[in-house]
Amino acid sequence: MASRTRTRVALWAGAMLALCALLIALGQSLSSHPRVGLNPFIESARAQGRTPHYERVIILGIDGVDYQLLKMWMDEGRLPNFARLRQMGDYKPLGTSMPPQSPVAWSNFITGMNSGGHAIFDFIHRDPQSYLPYSALSEVKPPPESVSVLGVKLPNKIGLPFSDYVLPLAGGTTVNLRQGTPFWDILTEHDVPAVVHRVPVNFPPVSADAITLSGMGTPDIQGTNGTYAYYTNNPPADWEGATGGKIFLVDVVDGEVGTFSGGALEPPRLYGPPNDFVDYEAARRRSGRSTAYQDRKASIPFRVFVDAEHPVAKVEIAGEEIFLKEGEFSPWVPVEFSMLPAPGIIRWAKHDLVSVPGIVRFYLKSAQPDFGLYVTPVQIDPANPALPISTPAEYSQELADALGRYYTQGMPEDTKALEKDVFGNADFMRQADLIVEEERAFAQYELDRFERGLLFLYFSTVDQIGHVMWRTLRTEEGHPARDEALDAAYEEVYPHLYQRLDEVVGFAMDYIDNETVLIVMSDHGFSSWRRAFDLNRWLYEEGYLALRPGVPPTEVEYLQGIDWNNTRLYGIGINGLYVNQLGRERSGIVAPGPEKQALMREVAEKLEAIVDPETGRHPITHVFMNEEIYDGPYAADGPDAQLGFDVGYRLLDESAVGGITAAVLSDNTRRWSGDHCQDYRRVPGIILSSAPIRKPDPSLVDLAPTVLEIFGVTPPAEMQGRAIY
Amino acid sequence: MFGGPKVKLTKELYERVEKYAKLAGYSSVEEFVVHALEIQLAQLEEAQSDEEIKEKLKGLGYLA
Repeated sequence: MASRTRTRVALWAGAMLALCALLIALGQSLSSHPRVGLNPFIESARAQGRTPHYERVIILGIDGVDYQLLKMWMDEGRLPNFARLRQMGDYKPLGTSMPPQSPVAWSNFITGMNSGGHAIFDFIHRDPQSYLPYSALSEVKPPPESVSVLGVKLPNKIGLPFSDYVLPLAGGTTVNLRQGTPFWDILTEHDVPAVVHRVPVNFPPVSADAITLSGMGTPDIQGTNGTYAYYTNNPPADWEGATGGKIFLVDVVDGEVGTFSGGALEPPRLYGPPNDFVDYEAARRRSGRSTAYQDRKASIPFRVFVDAEHPVAKVEIAGEEIFLKEGEFSPWVPVEFSMLPAPGIIRWAKHDLVSVPGIVRFYLKSAQPDFGLYVTPVQIDPANPALPISTPAEYSQELADALGRYYTQGMPEDTKALEKDVFGNADFMRQADLIVEEERAFAQYELDRFERGLLFLYFSTVDQIGHVMWRTLRTEEGHPARDEALDAAYEEVYPHLYQRLDEVVGFAMDYIDNETVLIVMSDHGFSSWRRAFDLNRWLYEEGYLALRPGVPPTEVEYLQGIDWNNTRLYGIGINGLYVNQLGRERSGIVAPGPEKQALMREVAEKLEAIVDPETGRHPITHVFMNEEIYDGPYAADGPDAQLGFDVGYRLLDESAVGGITAAVLSDNTRRWSGDHCQDYRRVPGIILSSAPIRKPDPSLVDLAPTVLEIFGVTPPAEMQGRAIY
Repeated sequence: MFGGPKVKLTKELYERVEKYAKLAGYSSVEEFVVHALEIQLAQLEEAQSDEEIKEKLKGLGYLA
């Protein structure tokens, strides 16, 4: 009897479950299934070959989502929302830029043109006159030497009496080096509103009417891509050579952290921007010694106390007390760097004449006996920005009011700290989680209030985490950077990250209706990076690049030490190959025209023929000539060729900034173990759309004209892409 | 004009410098040469200490 009752209950529960499942399925198809296909206007537009009209376009731009990986995890059922979107509309590879580097790729997306139209060819460019490499995304112009006041020319630096301080009348400026018109500015000209979140290569943002927040390319307060600080009594190997951060050796004495100097404990200091309000030349004349670059930075002291019994510490900074447990990040802390203190007479004001605000988070990696305190790069404070990061300027503040302060530096995932052992895998992923949560909060906030026009939301973590955690993937056993003992436990980190993005896709899909189209896209795919190619070493060995007498090749850095009168080719940037061209480079020797063309043919043939003795494969699949891939007014400013690496290969870091190492080919042992700066045909991005895509081979440059046509705006003639629907 | 070290220029370069010094209104070839060198040096010294280049370029995650 009892047994029969249990069976009956089980049957009843089973039936109820089946009914629930049916209701849920029905509910889903009623509430969030696409009604796109039912819209007669869209059907009729399609029949006539016109781009259908929508009132709302939502684009989720997820940096670095790979076509094959996403497909595999969708097919395995791990990404139900991505898969639902695929089923609803379309899923295709999205053609990327050459080189498939994020700034280049996103500029293709933003302008609908290739690099010849937007002038971004690489992360790194070079000045043909000085041969010095520089960051290709934005340029900081120093204050002018003189200014004109009411028609009178005055020196721009007014010395302040009894001090080494100077007061410039005009400040420096920062300029976005991307050319071309972003498509959202064309939309707003036609009264279509646009909100564009953290799109790369949009710093400083200049849009007249669109609401924008800058992303990749936004510096930290020091003007760098991010310079963390790490205070420790147990520094990692070669700690003085850290890049992307500074490591400070400290002692812990009676529970307080500092450095011993003259019998007293000096508190640690947090460094801000270089102080341009000091006349270093005057200071040198007065004191007889020059000021090192690090000491030119404004700084503030702070105090740290370590608990004698528990793994906790207390940080005192800017009047705040912060208590941290091991493995814990602090909330954002506002700080202020004094650049120009008030002179003695008016010191009663207690305010600096000029100061620069910023924000930081502290992270206690370990308390004792090994002490390690990490501080994020000082971010531009979105609630009080020292440099413009949004349009309108108040937008960054509005977001901070609604959601709390947030990372403003481009690519904030601290891969540099992970590569230097300042972070372990777990520390790095804790920080990455904070960024994923920020991105999800932004998405929810903007989707909730989105009414009409374009909404673009950017997600950085798949790219940055992919770069450094690639070695942990199950498929990467044998990767030269993989540490089996440390990394095997993290193999689910990357698929799990895709799953978190799947949730974002899920809630964005709730907004799809007859008048709303959803596009999920990435700028490029991903692959393993196991072997590194030193282009400048190869050019040197082949006799294309000559060194000045007495300069050993391994001492060449930043293209310094090269004998330009005998050098025909050089490499700069992650894919770029340049001719030392007569009339263009300061000491160019190769004549443009037939001489250059013959040289390029010869070098391309040789590069494509290289075989890696370790693998038996060709590292370079194709050398893309400038004229083969670029057209537009800026094409001639680009490299003469871009190297297309096979998957598994990438240019060696040192070569990318104009250095030379000891070997042409070497293992990549960096934690930065995945990459995509390869032959663009091997690493396409992805596009998922709630509406079917007509174009068989959609590409990044097609999206700008597509969105314009959706809103009935004719794309400008210079746009190279074509609408996809 | 200067008692300091002398720098050799080819005849051809000197003639070009002389021509443009006149055109640009410099009072002498020396004044033009000194001005041109100061501009170039100021650019190199101010903007590009090695450390600054390193901080700006190598801070990029893509590069070790």
